[in-house]
Parts: sequence; C-alpha cells; structure tokens
Amino acid sequence: MVQTSQPKQEEEYGYDLFPGRNTGQHKGRSFTESLLTFNHKCQVMLQLATETSPYAKLLLSAMKSSGCKVFKERHFSCEDCDGTVSGGFDADSSQIVLCQNNIHQQSHMNRVVTHELIHAFDHCRAHVDWFNNLKHLACSEIRAANLSGDCSFQTEFSRFNFGLKQHQQACVRGRALRSILAVRKINREEAEKIVDEVFDTCFNDHAPFGRIPHDKKDAGFAGRDYENRGRYYANL
Amino acid sequence: SPPQPPRACDDYWSEFRHCKSLKNCFHHYYTYGTSPSCQQWKEDFHNCREWEKHRATESKEALQRSERNRVAEQRKFTPVWELRQSPPRDWHMPLNQEKPQDS
Repeated sequence: MVQTSQPKQEEEYGYDLFPGRNTGQHKGRSFTESLLTFNHKCQVMLQLATETSPYAKLLLSAMKSSGCKVFKERHFSCEDCDGTVSGGFDADSSQIVLCQNNIHQQSHMNRVVTHELIHAFDHCRAHVDWFNNLKHLACSEIRAANLSGDCSFQTEFSRFNFGLKQHQQACVRGRALRSILAVRKINREEAEKIVDEVFDTCFNDHAPFGRIPHDKKDAGFAGRDYENRGRYYANL
Repeated sequence: SPPQPPRACDDYWSEFRHCKSLKNCFHHYYTYGTSPSCQQWKEDFHNCREWEKHRATESKEALQRSERNRVAEQRKFTPVWELRQSPPRDWHMPLNQEKPQDS
C-alpha cells in the first residue's frame, strides 16, 4: 500500500484509509491508558520486528547503506486505520504507517514491516514516481508481495489459499493488483495490464535480498550474502 | 588485498546443501513449478577449494565465471525505474510542523 499526497484528491490516492493522518487533531492519553492500548502493543511489536526479523534487519542495513538510515520515531507511525488495511508507505512524509487496530500478531507485524520497508527501500534507491507512474507503483507492490513473505506457502495456507505449483506468482500478481486497486481509481483490466507489463522484471528484482526469501533460513542466507557483498564484488 | 574467492568456500557448500534440502525443493516448485538445479554450487565449492589450496588458475577463472553468470542472471531484465545517484533529500527532514507530536 503506497500513498502520495495531493491535497485536493486525497480520496483518489488512498489517504481516506488513514483517517488519523494530517487531521491536525491529537488525542491526549494518560500514561496508564497508553500502556493498554493498541498503540503500545504496536510499538512493542514494531520493536521486536526490527530487532529479530532477519527480513527487516537486512532491509534496515541496506537502507542505511543507501543513505536512508531509518529512525523508528521519525520513520514509523502506529495509527488507527479504516477497514482491513495493515499499513502503508507515505512517500511525501517518508513515513511507514502501521495500522495498530489491524495488526495483532507478531508474525503479521513482521510481514507488514518488511513489506513497507521494501517500498521505502525502493523510494530510497530509485526515482519512483509513486504519484504519476502506475508501472512504478505496480513494480514496488510486486516486489513487496514477493519478498516480504506475504505470499509464502504458510501465509497463503493460513488464508485458505491452497495453491501449489507456481502459486507464488499467482499470489504476487493478485496481491499487487489488489493494492493498486485500493489506492487508484482505475478498472481491473487496466490494472491487470499494468501488472502484466512489469511482472517479469519486478518479480525477478530481488534487491536487497539477492533471492526470494521463503522463510527465515533463506533470509538468513540473504543476510550473510549482504554482509559479504564487499568481498564478493571485489573478487568477481 | 590479494585476490580471494568471492565467498568463503564453506559458503558454497552450505548453499549446495541448502539448495538440495527438501524445504528448498518445495519452495522452488511453489515459486517456479520446477525443481531447482544445485550442481553449480557443488562445482563452485570444488573450484573454490582448488583455488585456495593450489592457487589453480583454471579453478579461479571457472569460479569467477560462475559468479559473474549469477550476477548477469539477476540483471538481465530491463528496469522499470531509474536508480538514484543520491538518496531522496527529504528522507531526514523533520515532520511537518503542523502535525502535533506525541507528548
């Protein structure tokens, strides 16, 4: 999920899904209240994700190397969201939004953090035109669905999607399509055409992992490769 | 520093073992509909050891060829976007002053 801001067309770009943003309102909370709220739980799970998920840790390293060091207080925001949205990347404020009312399990938090960090990573390393270029948007969504574990066998299985042969690709296509349709007012055929155009390139763009991490072990191998990249490229 | 294999030789062996694991075979089928080919990792491991132990030029070149091929495989698609020369300027800029901060 990606948003860019254009104040007059907020609904057109998915901003209405995040009612807590840019309202100029602030709900005060007592210390005890905030301990028991979704906000606190979200903060705790976010902390755990960045410290223990090999996916998140690799992305954070890669972003630091690219000149976009991530600071939790600055670049993450736990907020209430509409519907079933889990999170988003706001390119205008360079912030990752986490939907505190929709993320209740650590494994889900790990995936959302990874997914949104992939958008942030793309924003950092490339001239991504989130606002005007639907191919760019589609590409980042394909990558995020592909590399975050969103489409892993286990995750799909838990959604009762029992696909097997090449199911990863079907899942990635489907989720990228859904993400685009959620934030842009185009019809399904148009969206499908755009996804088709960029699918091969973007499905095979595995940066910064170097492979599709299907589980933590894969992500661990990817992390090892990343740590070794200096020696690797110097000795080809 | 003097030329050395792109990866530690043990890394090639662990990639080979990982490639051949049941889990990986499953994941590969789930992703590509085929079974993975793992032989190259094994060859790379042997070439790596030959390079380290005997400074064998042929082994060194074979290994480097194999790795350059891997890199080329990753890069053979036309990119959708242009890579940046420097990170976005506003990445570190403080948040909009209009947005109230949490106390």
